[in-house]
Amino acid sequence: MAAAAAAAAGSGAPREEEGSSGEAAVPPPQAPTSAPGARLSRLPLARVKALVKADPDVTLAGQEAIFILARAAELFVETIAKDAYCCAQQGKRKTLQRRDLDNAIEAVDEFAFLEGTLD
Amino acid sequence: MAERPEDLNLPNAVITRIIKEALPDGVNISKEARSAISRAASVFVLYATSCANNFAMKGKRKTLNASDVLSAMEEMEFQRFITPLKEALEAYRREQKGKKEASEQKKKDKDRKTDSEEQDKTRDEDNDEDEERLEEEEQNEEEEVDN
Repeated sequence: MAAAAAAAAGSGAPREEEGSSGEAAVPPPQAPTSAPGARLSRLPLARVKALVKADPDVTLAGQEAIFILARAAELFVETIAKDAYCCAQQGKRKTLQRRDLDNAIEAVDEFAFLEGTLD
Repeated sequence: MAERPEDLNLPNAVITRIIKEALPDGVNISKEARSAISRAASVFVLYATSCANNFAMKGKRKTLNASDVLSAMEEMEFQRFITPLKEALEAYRREQKGKKEASEQKKKDKDRKTDSEEQDKTRDEDNDEDEERLEEEEQNEEEEVDN
């Protein structure tokens, strides 16, 4: 399944250390390389590129744009996790549940675009 | 399978790691919440792409560039991302430049050993090759328009 995405994106972005497919299997997608500045982005650019290409209106996207989208997605994950955690904290729980996420989406205006998309 | 764009998920392991690092120690996340966040991240990328594409089209460009994405962040009311994203972009550009210079240097050294006449030819090829690996079209035009 992700093989299709990986194959489609396989020709692009070979230079980034995150370029390999990174399947949904248990081990993390790549071992840390010793390249300087290796932690610029943890999400594999190939997957992000596959998402970008899924938009029928998009013709081309520059490498920098893909990189920034990946980084923005990381920031987004951090942000929504923290906001959802606030809800869990109020319930004195130490495990984030799906409902915490739903509450965060409802409460935070910037997350309005997510409404109805997670089901 | 990947019938809908939202099903193109980002790797679970990476998503989990990002979440855990964002939260205090000892906090866990349920599988449902984790996969919902992963899905949300995909939707975020799709939405940001669409917004960024609008900016590109307004600028009569066919290639999305970094500033289109930054404009999209503003439009989506994620202004707080803009500064960290700009910093990341600077670092990324430095790294790309460093890589290019390193590989140019290697080629130079190699050529010096073999034949010094062919040095200049290969340097030009490198410039074109490295800029945009995604598609071959419109690579040089768009690179200049970033700022």
